[in-house]
Amino acid sequence: MRSSGMIGSSSATASSATAWASTTSVSSSGKRIQREMAELNLDPPPYCSAGPKGDNLYHWVSTIMGPPGTPYGGGIFFLDITFPGDYPFKPPKVAFKTRIYHCNVDSSGNLGLDILKDGWSPALTISKVLLAIRSIFTNPDPHNLLVPGIAHQHMVDRPKHDQLAAEWTLRFAK
Amino acid sequence: MFRSSNVAARIFERQIRTPAPGTSVHCARLFYENLVPSHTIYDVECPDHSFRKFTEDGHYLISFSRNNQDLIVYRPRWPSFCCKEDNCIHDLPQKAKRFESFFTELYTVSLASNNELICKDMFLYSESNQFGVFVTSTAPLHDAPSSGEAVPGIPSIDKITFHLLRLRDGDTLDKKVFHNDFINLTHNMGVFLYDDLLAIVSLRFQTIHILQIRDSGNLVDVRAIGTFCREDDELFLNSNAQYMPVSDQSQLNHSENDVETRAHQNPLYQNNTLLSGIKQRLLSFVFREIWNEESDDALRIQSLKKKFYFHFQDYVDLIIWKVQFLDRHHLLIKFGSVDGGILVSRNADQHPAFFAVYNMETTEIVAFYQNSAEELYLFFEMFCDHFHPQSRSSLHMNFISSHSNNIYAFEQLRGIKKKAIFTQFVKKMLGSLPFSCQSRSPSPYFDQSLFRYDEKLISATDRHRQSTDHPIKFITRRQPYTLKFKIKTGPEAGSADSRTKKISSFLFHPFLPLALSIQQTVFSQPSINIHFRK
Repeated sequence: MRSSGMIGSSSATASSATAWASTTSVSSSGKRIQREMAELNLDPPPYCSAGPKGDNLYHWVSTIMGPPGTPYGGGIFFLDITFPGDYPFKPPKVAFKTRIYHCNVDSSGNLGLDILKDGWSPALTISKVLLAIRSIFTNPDPHNLLVPGIAHQHMVDRPKHDQLAAEWTLRFAK
Repeated sequence: MFRSSNVAARIFERQIRTPAPGTSVHCARLFYENLVPSHTIYDVECPDHSFRKFTEDGHYLISFSRNNQDLIVYRPRWPSFCCKEDNCIHDLPQKAKRFESFFTELYTVSLASNNELICKDMFLYSESNQFGVFVTSTAPLHDAPSSGEAVPGIPSIDKITFHLLRLRDGDTLDKKVFHNDFINLTHNMGVFLYDDLLAIVSLRFQTIHILQIRDSGNLVDVRAIGTFCREDDELFLNSNAQYMPVSDQSQLNHSENDVETRAHQNPLYQNNTLLSGIKQRLLSFVFREIWNEESDDALRIQSLKKKFYFHFQDYVDLIIWKVQFLDRHHLLIKFGSVDGGILVSRNADQHPAFFAVYNMETTEIVAFYQNSAEELYLFFEMFCDHFHPQSRSSLHMNFISSHSNNIYAFEQLRGIKKKAIFTQFVKKMLGSLPFSCQSRSPSPYFDQSLFRYDEKLISATDRHRQSTDHPIKFITRRQPYTLKFKIKTGPEAGSADSRTKKISSFLFHPFLPLALSIQQTVFSQPSINIHFRK
């Protein structure tokens, strides 16, 4: 009886210690994320919105509506955003949950974008990231090609590229 | 005006009066008050099969052998016999009191092979071409390892075979096999037949397979709704694979094996799975609805945050439980959580569930409701028959009583509604959606505008019921509200042991005054009574 109590209490202290450690290290990033959320709520970028999934501040979902006039118009694209514990010193991870025909997004939704890799700066915010993602709908990022085939097509046969992208949007992003 | 319910008077009236336009069928059905299955042959000697159902056109009686291997099909016929004795006016001669004088065996077909067994609860009948759909399967594995795209927590069945039979001669016309899958086959839950379209819900792989039963006797895959929405989406994706980098192409071709290796190579890849086609449609529908509710940007993002992003993962985790056709294009799909998926009705309304109306031609979600939605309940109350789509060919099926076509059933519903707490009542009522296919008997004796009976003991819905020693009374709805006939299950004298739990089931012929009642106890042989009009 007593020994089991001991085990219970020791494990409790261990877990609380780790909990402490994690909250101290993430609380600054948590504050930063909260501030960015307030900023996003006040002035959301056009056609974009985002918010935390459940009560986990570090895991967000974003929705980008395909800009009208582009082959992605009418599509609704869902993205997963994961903030690292040392945000904003490391970039958030962003991945598409919706299939898209785009040279910066591979077939499993991974996104190649300069500012999410080497081009990241702690001065950037989630609103800016969403704006950057939205801008690749109109102008693909030529330096982070995940699907060279589509990039090549975008260059040499734009009408065909746009037609296929529109077809993908119709099939997979409605 | 007083009208005699005497059969001779009714025939005379039929001769001289034309009923009001459109009501002649209803007038003809009044004759069922005079022709009732009031005579019972108790404990009839009959083959030791489990009797499943009369087909909707009354042509066949479907039964399975006790070892669940064979299908035995009977043709119901009216008993004819000759007798010399004088007392045969009062009672049937002993030799006529046999199962065989009511049913002729047409054939026996062995359906199950190896370690498969017939799923007794599952039978669908396509009336237009007299085809039957039967299922055989191996035993389910409850702690099945989840592999690839399978939903964890759902059992797996090695092999599920759908057999398409021509009931005229018992020829197997076509088969469709599902491997390592799970389809809920109790009470036709996971299947739905509308005209020639058959919907099969794979719980394990979250796919609605739409098959067409051709007149030629072929089961043709029309589309699979789940990962993809349109029938050629996968083909389209593969034909575009030329633009994918090499690693992506191999991933497209054999996804299951490559997922793991890719996950090792690329830490980014972990936890990222694309939304399935149906989920993308569902989520974008929900998103659009909330987006369009507000016009102010700041308010909009607030309500999206609260109503959409906060619950996003819950929406993603929803699984397809059950499906029914509303018409040839629209499906009513019930979504719920994994743990509620295989539970049978009893506690199902406790779990949060959602209903979606999906147009499979345009691949659009048309409507989406939670199972507490009053709006959906009001549709259900007023237009219940629209949730019971009838195939074009069926005749008798139009007369099955529901609260939207029958005043007595409606009053009964109102009575329950008054007593219950409304929110719970809505959930309970919507818990019956989507309806199970072909689960109600079209027998006129269940027509609530003709007869009143205790729905706890018997109803048109095909279910096993706790049985009592008391006979079930059928009382006419018209003057003079008299008892017309009784259905008594079990032996005539009642059973010796009144404490053992007895379960009974009833098979009513769709239009003849003929019924079988089957009473089962845990230990003894089932006792079968034939009820008919002498």
